[in-house]
Amino acid sequence: MKQTRFVAALAVVGLAAAACGSKPVTTTSGASAAASGGASAGNFTACMVTDTGGIDDHSFNSAAWAGMQKAQSDGKATVSFVQSATENQYTSNISSLLSKGCKLIVTVGGLMADATTASAKVHTSQDYTIVDSGSVPPNVKGLQFNTAQGAFLGGYLAAGYSKSGKVATFGGLNIAPVTVYMDGFWEGVQYYNSKHATHVQVLGWNETTRQGSFAQSFTDQNVGKQLAAGFLSQGADIVFPVAGGTGLGALAEAQQSNGAMNAIWVDTDGFTAAPQYANVLITSVLKGISDAVTKSVEDAASGNFNATAYVGTLANGGTGLAPYHNFEGKIPASLTSELTQVKQGIISGSITIKSKAQPTG
Amino acid sequence: MTATAAELTAPAARGLDRARLIPGLAQAAVGAYALWAFGLGARTASGAKAAVGMALNPNAPGALGMQTFPAAPVAIALSLVCVVCGVARAFAPLGPAARRGLTVGYVVSFVLAFLVWASAGTSTLGGVSLPGVLNNTLIVSVPLILGALCGIICERSGVVNVAIEGQFLFGAFSSAMAATMSGSVWIGLVVGALSGALLGSLLAVLANRYHIEQVVLGVVLNLFALGLTNFLYDKLLSPKAAEFNQPPVFQAIRIPGLADIPVIGPVLFDQNILFYLTFLIIAVLQVGLFRTRWGLRTRAVGEHPRAADTVGIKVLGTRYRNVVMAGLISGLGGVWLTIGQVGSFTTNMSAGKGFIALAALIVGRWSPVGALGAALLFGFAGGLNNALAPLGTPLPGQVLSMAPYLATVFVVASLGGIVRAPAAENQPYVKD
Repeated sequence: MKQTRFVAALAVVGLAAAACGSKPVTTTSGASAAASGGASAGNFTACMVTDTGGIDDHSFNSAAWAGMQKAQSDGKATVSFVQSATENQYTSNISSLLSKGCKLIVTVGGLMADATTASAKVHTSQDYTIVDSGSVPPNVKGLQFNTAQGAFLGGYLAAGYSKSGKVATFGGLNIAPVTVYMDGFWEGVQYYNSKHATHVQVLGWNETTRQGSFAQSFTDQNVGKQLAAGFLSQGADIVFPVAGGTGLGALAEAQQSNGAMNAIWVDTDGFTAAPQYANVLITSVLKGISDAVTKSVEDAASGNFNATAYVGTLANGGTGLAPYHNFEGKIPASLTSELTQVKQGIISGSITIKSKAQPTG
Repeated sequence: MTATAAELTAPAARGLDRARLIPGLAQAAVGAYALWAFGLGARTASGAKAAVGMALNPNAPGALGMQTFPAAPVAIALSLVCVVCGVARAFAPLGPAARRGLTVGYVVSFVLAFLVWASAGTSTLGGVSLPGVLNNTLIVSVPLILGALCGIICERSGVVNVAIEGQFLFGAFSSAMAATMSGSVWIGLVVGALSGALLGSLLAVLANRYHIEQVVLGVVLNLFALGLTNFLYDKLLSPKAAEFNQPPVFQAIRIPGLADIPVIGPVLFDQNILFYLTFLIIAVLQVGLFRTRWGLRTRAVGEHPRAADTVGIKVLGTRYRNVVMAGLISGLGGVWLTIGQVGSFTTNMSAGKGFIALAALIVGRWSPVGALGAALLFGFAGGLNNALAPLGTPLPGQVLSMAPYLATVFVVASLGGIVRAPAAENQPYVKD
């Protein structure tokens, strides 16, 4: 009987959620999050607005939230988040946080730049941090990541590991935070070709024509799977999805291909973020969102908020490659040592990355 | 026999009415455009070779290699076929069956001409993979077919079902959850189908007993399904993914012999059980609706419920039973989206497919085989973007994304004729 009542209650809540269909926003209150964190957080409140990918996209929203939670478990802040179901909710979500009295508002995603800047212009005493967009002094701190550098290494590794001579990538949308990865990947493959006199092809993106494959979604896994299946039938044996949750479908396709296709994950270490697909993940191109978000929250909590732009690079650890995990024994040692040299080359500037999508800060 | 009757049945009079002249000429004009753009355009010029991949995984040992052939002559020939089909449709005195054949021939030639054009000069990129395109088409089509079949049964019995989208969501959600918790895809399948039927029974009760406007009701049920699955996803599936949202998926079942047929073998005969089940349901429903007592009664209830009642058919009983049973089928469409394909559930993963299924049902003229054709067309157009984007065609991705909708408008216009819904749909039956 208790169970029946529970189900009935759920149904009622579901109806309520449907009834306010114009605003299906889910909030996790700071209090309940604090309870799970267990630490006694300070009275500094930091609130996050997710992009449409949602809090558990296994990608940049999750990474930003992990950074927020770290700040809470460090005892520096009480954190909460609001999810944007559609792009129309950016503005209303930001204003709802203003009225909640959040000291720092963290917005995730370059698509939210306009909404964040507009709010910052009006509320000049409110501090903001935005992931994947530039700083707007005096009160918006931008956290950007030159992931072209990390993806360059990913492309180089893919080109060296591919047996078919074809590697593939696709994006969620044709926007700079996505194409910067694809540019880096493409350039990494070209660099490998020039070093080894090979002709490894990149399917799904061409930096010079800026034409490529886009899922037009950061959530639709079925489209990700179909794109990966298409690449497989064109002969690609490695896929690099840059599309948040959509990319999980590409991992599913790789897993069902019985070894014909492997993948490189994006933003976070896929080995821990999507463990069910660990056996097809060669590596991941990391974007140090968590650490950057934690630092920006903790700085703001200790009264040191600044609107200086942060750009994550290979040099400062803001991007890079994850460990190989299951592929540890399969990557030739020579390829690993070449990658170390390439990394040094990018840091020292002897290898230049031409992508125009790179953030300048 | 009077002169008037002779005139009416004379081929000339039948051949020249506007209903065929206009679509026929429109087809011919589009065919001529294809000739100019695909056959004589820059992409196929100067002896460019069209490249067509013949294997789902060309890297597998023993896979068929890529085929190349001169693009321009083939594209020109196919475009000319289009023009001829269009002209024949406009002027030749043909019966309905022959005209339908012409339309199919026209669409196929047009699509092939387009593919030849798109694949010209792409041999280094792997070309257009024929089995790849077919596979994508079928995989995108399966949920559309299942949704449309559900809609057919409902509407044939006089109940409009706009809640297919919601049934997909319910089916997808509950099958992912049940399969994860039980570790069995079969339990996931049963639970997913049943939850589609659950939403169907809600629809049936509210429409038949409480006489709620059925289109509005369907929209509300969709919102309910979206809200409920979003809520449960945030509270349950997302925080405890390992316990609730990492289901096993259906493995492909290879049919020995048939799966070895080149090109179409692996596409048609190396798929999972849901795929085969979908085609079985199409066949059963096609026969069932038009060749059995159940089908006759269902159609009677949807066309003229009062007459059906007079001869002793239980109108409401038929409607209840059919709507709930149809719910099982669209629940399967949801099952396909999760454990039939990618595994885990994500919010709003049906992403409008339930509405495209409705369009397929209308284009397919409320018949299972017609809906299959329409769903394949939409599936092809929807999967086209994925297949062609890597080849660097001059068409922007956004234009390709419009393809399904352009195809719908074109098909509806060129099929001409009368597309007529069951007469009693959306009319609650009240006994006097």
